[in-house]
Amino acid sequence: VSPPPDRREAWRRRVLALTAVAMAGFVGLLGQLWYLQALEGGRLQEMSERNRIRIRPVAAPRGILFDRSGLPLVDNRPAFTLSLIPRELEDRDTVLARVSVLIKIPLRELQEALERVPPDSIRPQRVRRGLSLEDVTKLEERKLDLPGVIVEVEPQRVYPTSTFAAHLLGYVREVSDDQMKQGRYRRGDMIGQSGLERVLDEYLRGRDGGERIEVDALGRPVQLMQREEPDPGAQVVTTVDRRIQEVAERAMVGHAGAVVVMDPRDGDILALTSSPAFPLDRFTGNLERDEWLRLVRDPMTPLMNRALQSQYAPGSVFKVVVAAAGLQDGSLTPMDRAYCNGQFHMGGWTFKDWKEGGHGHVDLRSALIQSCNVFFYQAGLKVGPEAILRYARAFGFGAPTGADLGGERPGLIPTLSPPRARHGPGWQAGDTVNISIGQGRLLVTPMQVARMMSAVANGGVLWKPRLIQRVERADGTLAYSSSSKMAGQVDLSPAVWAFLRHALTGVVNEGGTGAAARIPGVLVAGKTGTAQSIAKSDASKGQDHAWFASFAPADDPQVVVVVLVERGGKGGQVAAPIARQVYQALFLEKVAMVVLDGDS
Amino acid sequence: MLRFDRRLLQNVDWPLVAAAFFIIGLSVLSLWSLAPVRGGAALAWRQLSWVGVGVVALLVVVSVDYRNLVRAAPAFYVAGIALLLTVFVLGRTVSGARRWIHLGPLSVQPSELFKLIFVLTLAWAITSWRAPSPSRGAVLGMLALMGVPFLLVVRQPDLGTALVLIPVAVAIFVGAGVRMRVLGTLALAGVSALPLFWHVLKPYQRDRLLVYLDPFRDPLGTAYNVIQAKIAIGSGQLLGKGPSGATQSRLAFLPERHTDFIFAVFAEMWGFIGCLVLIVAYSLLVLRGFEIAASTREPRGRILALGVTAVFAAQTLINLGMVTGLLPIVGIPLPLMSYGGSSMVVSLMGLGLLLSIRMRQFH
Repeated sequence: VSPPPDRREAWRRRVLALTAVAMAGFVGLLGQLWYLQALEGGRLQEMSERNRIRIRPVAAPRGILFDRSGLPLVDNRPAFTLSLIPRELEDRDTVLARVSVLIKIPLRELQEALERVPPDSIRPQRVRRGLSLEDVTKLEERKLDLPGVIVEVEPQRVYPTSTFAAHLLGYVREVSDDQMKQGRYRRGDMIGQSGLERVLDEYLRGRDGGERIEVDALGRPVQLMQREEPDPGAQVVTTVDRRIQEVAERAMVGHAGAVVVMDPRDGDILALTSSPAFPLDRFTGNLERDEWLRLVRDPMTPLMNRALQSQYAPGSVFKVVVAAAGLQDGSLTPMDRAYCNGQFHMGGWTFKDWKEGGHGHVDLRSALIQSCNVFFYQAGLKVGPEAILRYARAFGFGAPTGADLGGERPGLIPTLSPPRARHGPGWQAGDTVNISIGQGRLLVTPMQVARMMSAVANGGVLWKPRLIQRVERADGTLAYSSSSKMAGQVDLSPAVWAFLRHALTGVVNEGGTGAAARIPGVLVAGKTGTAQSIAKSDASKGQDHAWFASFAPADDPQVVVVVLVERGGKGGQVAAPIARQVYQALFLEKVAMVVLDGDS
Repeated sequence: MLRFDRRLLQNVDWPLVAAAFFIIGLSVLSLWSLAPVRGGAALAWRQLSWVGVGVVALLVVVSVDYRNLVRAAPAFYVAGIALLLTVFVLGRTVSGARRWIHLGPLSVQPSELFKLIFVLTLAWAITSWRAPSPSRGAVLGMLALMGVPFLLVVRQPDLGTALVLIPVAVAIFVGAGVRMRVLGTLALAGVSALPLFWHVLKPYQRDRLLVYLDPFRDPLGTAYNVIQAKIAIGSGQLLGKGPSGATQSRLAFLPERHTDFIFAVFAEMWGFIGCLVLIVAYSLLVLRGFEIAASTREPRGRILALGVTAVFAAQTLINLGMVTGLLPIVGIPLPLMSYGGSSMVVSLMGLGLLLSIRMRQFH
């Protein structure tokens, strides 16, 4: 049944043709494979890398700030952050709308967050911090409908209380657009914006780590490919005493003003508070725009650190400087006496004492104790404006103290001979009278007063206020340490120092204006002050700023406490009781603790 | 009937057997390397057991004289049509298509089996006319014969299998010496029927065709497969990433990676060099098949050999063309490579037919 040879030959030819077609197909395939694997291989290889690897930054825990005895002032806790991965947002509008509805975030906020980054970025863009557990659950449940939406866990600051040491610590907030321009930060970085958090930001921030995770097409992590551990921020040991800080803050509740507690032996700041404070914890999460505006526009300026950034007339506290100047220059002696009838007349002007009817016969010491203005009007004229201002400068007024916090104001010391054309009639005797009781064109900050009082307590050393003892890296090495630094010295004879301390002890303990600061068992020395508010707009309130600048124990000064209460009224009535609360915490409660320790 | 002639064993086409089992080996290896995800090891073992079943089927086919099989073609044809119809009644729906029948623990895909029945039927029809070349009427008759199961397969829908049948039919017609004019007329008719064909297609099938024209039309819907497969193949580059580095495949970026897209897995792991080897193996298989067809004098044998080889070639080329992005995506397994019992058993039965024809060439 074999076909004839010619038919066989035709058949072979046709099969050969079909074979050729098939082989051409295979050759074509090889060509396509060559194109894909050899020519396009590199590009596709890259695509496959992107396909499977997701980079997840691992935020470095911010360094902890400790108080002088090792108690933490702040801590971190894990918090949930909503992040978007632009490249993986397939159907951007739909996904954003879903997220917006799901956890009730304005769509605009999501869109704005994405507008700042390139649309093919694979780096998660943080949109909202501090998600509630409920929101996280909602997002996780719908994970498959929300490609490109992830919830990151980041360490977030927690504070003992919402406003604890707000001005001292400062707030931490996401880097702003302006700060981005410095080129030091990555978008979404949390950086210290004020206080110690800002000063120490480089140390505290640490270095973020990262994870390279293999994910499948559904974005499910399959395998951790590489993890670069974050370098945690450095630990900071401050000079602050958390207990004293808390007491000072509690004592200031309801008042506007500042408290500075300083160790006169080395310039360490044990407490620094400004009131009203702002809620630190609101900044770490999501501060709504209007909430921020409310803080900024608040007439009570809660964001301002009054201890360093507000300038006030020192009031009678300045009498200490006048007395020191006069005693050292010999223009005053402890024996100088005067009669105070409540008024002082000069060149047609009448200067009043704060006390109706006056203090009667006073000497220098009792004038300090009673804060007699009339005595100091005359004393000031004797000492002369030149010496008063010289000593004011010597005590550190008119220049920043160099405290480890930014934004400090220098205060103001008037000059004796200003250019006439600009400043009117120049220095008058009336100016001298005014400045003798700490009024006039003289402005100081509470920190400056604390330093002055420290110099009185320690015999003339002006310390650079110290807030930071040391910064330790996570591996235990020392990144920074500071010892106490002298910023200047006030040269007075020991007798003058002794006189001043003795007089100031009397202010509190001998029925003087500072009697409200008296505590049993410890001799507190101090000076009250009542400063006229220079802001004319506040005149209607009729309230003066209340000062109390003090140290204790008087015979061996260990601590300086300066209290300023804005529009508080009389220093002795408002500021001194606040100081007393601090002293109680410093001495009485401490003693109790020591006794307790002794028992056990 | 199973009287086995010793001389038959002397004419076993070992290169053909070697090429086929080389490919099967690569298949098991590729499935095995998918092990870390989705039970690759289990897949490999099951594939191996299908190979076992397939080898038994192959031996059965080899032991039977293929001429008897061609003679029985009408019976196979009727049984085949019946099987295709049962799919519509008893079939299990997998991803929108009813292609499988459950037989206890096994799922059988009748359309796979029908490819061989299709070839047997055509061989039977052509040799029955005994004319030097089939007349126009004969061709139309055969088309009618083929049209019924073709439409049934399309309606399952199993577009892939249906598309394989067209080049197979063309190859058989060409081999049988159908005049070019007739073939040209058929082609024209086919093209003009395309709009009609478009209406028969399911929406997802239309999408696939559109995506073929523009892959980035819908990068995460239909085109996802194409793009991911291209990425997988291309990222293998010249030398491949090896089994452990083949992340595209192992991380489930690649869909259908153990069945229709297994070539992409292979390509990612072994690169261009590996693909070259694999394609050479397939070419060898096809070359041997055509060589058997060319050298066979017995008319039924040579048409059958041609048809079976055409099935292999068409299915391989269409699958590889689709995986490499040259052709639209149609669900079609890669013979001897893709995971799946029906495909493996039917492929080995086809191989059995080729061996059987070869062995009986010189009687």
